[in-house]
Amino acid sequence: MEPRGEVFVLGLILSIVVLLISVLISVWARRFTRSLGDYYVAGRSIGALNNGLAMVSLALSLTTFIGLTALIIEGLYVAVAVYASFTAAFIGLMVLAAPYLRRHKSFTTMAFISERYDSKTLRYISVVVMMIVSVLYLAGNLKGIGIVFYFLLGVPEIVGIIVGGLVVTLYVTLGGMYGVTYNQTFQTIVLLFCLMFPVAIVMRTLGATGWVFPPLGYGDMVPQMTEAVPHYFWAMVAHPVVYIAIFLGSFFGIIGLPHFVMRFFTVRDAREARWSTVVCVFLVGLVNTTVYATGFAAVYYMQAEGVNIPTAAYDYVVFILVEALAGDSWLALAVAGSVAAGLSTVSGLLMIMGAGLIHDLYGTMKPEVDDDKKLKLSYGAMFLVGVAVILFSLDPPEFILEAIMWSFGIAAAGLGVPIVLGIWWKRTNKYGVGAGMVVGTLLAFISWIMIGYMGMDPVDIPFPFFAKYFYGPLGWIKVIAVAVPVSFILTIVVSWLTPPPSEDLQRQVDEMHGWSDVDPKRYNGKGLPITIIILSIFIMWFMTALYDQFPK
Amino acid sequence: MNDDSRRGYKLEVWVTAICFFIVAVTGGFFSSVVVIMNEAFFDQVPTPEALVAAYGETMFVFKEHLSVWGFPLHYFLLVVLSWIGATLVGAIWCLVMDRLEEKQRA
Repeated sequence: MEPRGEVFVLGLILSIVVLLISVLISVWARRFTRSLGDYYVAGRSIGALNNGLAMVSLALSLTTFIGLTALIIEGLYVAVAVYASFTAAFIGLMVLAAPYLRRHKSFTTMAFISERYDSKTLRYISVVVMMIVSVLYLAGNLKGIGIVFYFLLGVPEIVGIIVGGLVVTLYVTLGGMYGVTYNQTFQTIVLLFCLMFPVAIVMRTLGATGWVFPPLGYGDMVPQMTEAVPHYFWAMVAHPVVYIAIFLGSFFGIIGLPHFVMRFFTVRDAREARWSTVVCVFLVGLVNTTVYATGFAAVYYMQAEGVNIPTAAYDYVVFILVEALAGDSWLALAVAGSVAAGLSTVSGLLMIMGAGLIHDLYGTMKPEVDDDKKLKLSYGAMFLVGVAVILFSLDPPEFILEAIMWSFGIAAAGLGVPIVLGIWWKRTNKYGVGAGMVVGTLLAFISWIMIGYMGMDPVDIPFPFFAKYFYGPLGWIKVIAVAVPVSFILTIVVSWLTPPPSEDLQRQVDEMHGWSDVDPKRYNGKGLPITIIILSIFIMWFMTALYDQFPK
Repeated sequence: MNDDSRRGYKLEVWVTAICFFIVAVTGGFFSSVVVIMNEAFFDQVPTPEALVAAYGETMFVFKEHLSVWGFPLHYFLLVVLSWIGATLVGAIWCLVMDRLEEKQRA
């Protein structure tokens, strides 16, 4: 991909404005931080609308803004199915976890797992899993910021990664969770405007009659698209279990990704947690459906109008499209929106990593340290984490969305399963969770090392029995359809075979669901675990079926 | 557990299970069903030359009468149900849980 050849002044000005406002918001929000609770969970004072808007910008990272368009060019219907699942997953997160986690009064996912299962070992393991998924998620997003800088200034992506990373590190360190929350709210508003308007103009230029509402405004262009790209809407490029793997990864991954869960610890009560998710899913859906339209426009532009964009430049397609079909002023808006999208997600991730290291790791090893000292250490830890992640991101993944999808898969198997079972099945104990977390995480993480990092063909990895079935487009994603079911099965079976948790631990489940009394029969039946085991075995078996019917 | 408490518990579990099932369908199982029941949604046609190597001699294009606002039915349902549908399911679940919470407090 060639840079524009000259500095894009208007885009640069708008991007600097977004960066400056973000730092100023953090400086302003610093006055609210007086304790460790203020720094990590904004004093649990955030309302539903504010939290919902903050969650939107956390969800709509640069991977949505530029990565999804690239994925649609590559994967067509499958790519849309990935993000449709991600959108609906917020409701899964809400009905299975959000308000219950809020009632538990933890600071982080790792603290929840440790306190629910009364185990320091599980806290350490969950901190390690959190670091893995957060770094993977961050690497993709920092590369996205690098792409924006490359496009703006023609400077190497590495410069963007360093400058963007340092700015986020600065404002997260300064403002804590108050700063992060208000910044994310601001960035959501920026992002909504900066995506919707340029895409509407692009759709108008391409001739869509419904261009004023891009999410559903391109229906009249479908016949031309199917003529140019007959398989655009074809769902059959992938084995049906791919879509189930996408479901498992997005629904349990979002519950397992600590930076999403942490937002629910910041709200006033369980009711605010619930309604903030409804606000979030509506706006996330609005933006995602707009990006489907962008992907459609990109494929249409390339195929129907015969424009050649090399594969290596797919991550730049949004900018290429807006520049060619809407003009420089709209491109400046799109660039500023991208900067906002990247900053918001990176800030949320840095926050959870700093909290995990100081609150969950250092705080557990040195319980005698008081909150004031922890707060001071948090500033330093947050800064060091930021710098460390920048260094790691200097060798980013080829396509930014792939790293994020792996992150979802590992989070689902390693953290999502123990959280869901910890809320809905009292009999879950630390032995079962330990077995499920370790094996589930290793299955997904080692597969990522072989496929995502070393670049091996999924069907060639030494994955017992299943490797030959990891074929086809996004074939590696089927790893999730093994790792998550195995994590569920091990957690349930080992919990059953070992002593039940104490009454005090079981009482937490009643309290999380809002009951003031305790009843040993509630959330303790056999129906849920047996259903989960049957479905898990079915999914793994299903992957091995219909082998001859799909392209390899 | 008294009768009110048991009713509240069952309400919470069943409403949650049903809502989760509905969003799970739009979040993954729906596309699986589209693939398995492909003949209901697609007509079989010869594959364009460029795609023969990957997909064989034939492939499927969506049935023209199965479209909404110009979009293929399965695509429209995927996009709208995962967005508006999920939002509505979430809002209904929130209303039920708000009422349950009031009863728990009482």
